[in-house]
Amino acid sequence: MKGLIYFAVIVGLVPVQSVLLAHISLWGVKPDLGFVAVCLVGLLGGELDGLLVGLALGWAMSLFSAQDLISSAVLKGIVGFVAGLAGRQVVYLSPLVLVIGLLVVSCLIGLVSPFALKLSGQQDWWWTVSTVVLPQACLDAVIGGLIYWLMWSRLNIEQLMAESRM
Amino acid sequence: MRMVNLRAPYSARRVALILAVILVLGFLLLPGQLQTVFQQIGGPFGWIISWPLQTVAGIHDRIGDTWGRYVALQGVEDENQHLKRELDLLKEQNGQLREAAVATERLSALLEFRKQVLPTSVAAQVIGRDTGNWYKTIILNKGASDGLQSDQGVITPAGVVGRVVKTTASTAVVLLVTDPNNAIAGLIQRTRDEGIVEGTTQGQARLKYIPLLSSARPGDHVVTSGLVGGFPRGIPIGTIIRIDKEEEALFQSAELSPEVDPNRIEEVLVILSSSIPGEGERLGVPKPKP
Repeated sequence: MKGLIYFAVIVGLVPVQSVLLAHISLWGVKPDLGFVAVCLVGLLGGELDGLLVGLALGWAMSLFSAQDLISSAVLKGIVGFVAGLAGRQVVYLSPLVLVIGLLVVSCLIGLVSPFALKLSGQQDWWWTVSTVVLPQACLDAVIGGLIYWLMWSRLNIEQLMAESRM
Repeated sequence: MRMVNLRAPYSARRVALILAVILVLGFLLLPGQLQTVFQQIGGPFGWIISWPLQTVAGIHDRIGDTWGRYVALQGVEDENQHLKRELDLLKEQNGQLREAAVATERLSALLEFRKQVLPTSVAAQVIGRDTGNWYKTIILNKGASDGLQSDQGVITPAGVVGRVVKTTASTAVVLLVTDPNNAIAGLIQRTRDEGIVEGTTQGQARLKYIPLLSSARPGDHVVTSGLVGGFPRGIPIGTIIRIDKEEEALFQSAELSPEVDPNRIEEVLVILSSSIPGEGERLGVPKPKP
């Protein structure tokens, strides 16, 4: 069941990211729903789930982008793994803490990405930070916090947890 | 608020750790080989994802049409219900006919252009954009099964769009001419000076390595030179809007306004590599002297 949900998330997120988000970008930048999903899967499902979903989602998304197939998979895999480790250490997690965490991790990943992708010389550090990294981190944090808050307030997470353990 | 706990047992953590280590080692030691393996596995997986992708693109187009019509009708005065209904019906029919006429005109022009210039090209529709923020790309609804490969040129009747950088069985990713990571061999039509056209971070393009003695000026048209890349000679790329000449520089450069607006592309032609005449074919094979 969990595997099916993860497969649906991976197959469903790619069209949403490439078709729909192109129209609702802010400041010319769109949020990375894959990053948000991997963080939430890692936090809720643990490091193995986070790692595997991160690898698969990063790879699937890079199939529909100009970036190489490995960098995104590895970065998202690491994010999922770290989110799983973080989830193990935290007993209570408020949406506000999650928003701040997503903001920081998204910034870190955004700063590492240009080196992994070997971008053009025109896309220097300042351009990267001001045009892509900060706006994207803000969007990722807000959307991640919103999804987490909705999941928590609208769904019976305890029951879902119990079912997923069975 | 309590933290959700779907955590895996200790053994799963060890598996995750081992997997992570293997992957990072593989990434560091064999990047090229891993890339090839991932690309090969990506073919069928990309084909699976292309179905929901194309479905979402179709639904998105329909919703866009419906939404556009609804918003357009908001401002209509509602003085007479009967007349309004009739007017709405006629408007809708008129809009549909006009849209059909525009689409027919556009597709006819594309077909004519294809017949005249490029007998072996593939027409494709734009179904999406890059999944990330680092590159400016479009996704096409044709892929490797239609003969598309990396480095093939992509154009519209207006000019160069970009080049194919990645394919799955039924989709292709095109890096736009306005992306800073793209480079296309260009030629100033009036002066015949050659250079390299690169995208800029402002969404324009720049012709680099123009000789210092060139008399290029704003308004000159830049076309493909046909020397390298997947384009034949003479496809429009853009118009020079500014010349930049720096002190003690070996070359000058020019800022271009691209002929094609990347945000408004709906259909494109992909030039199949085999259809581009090589330098020898263009000039003719030298005949031995008697």
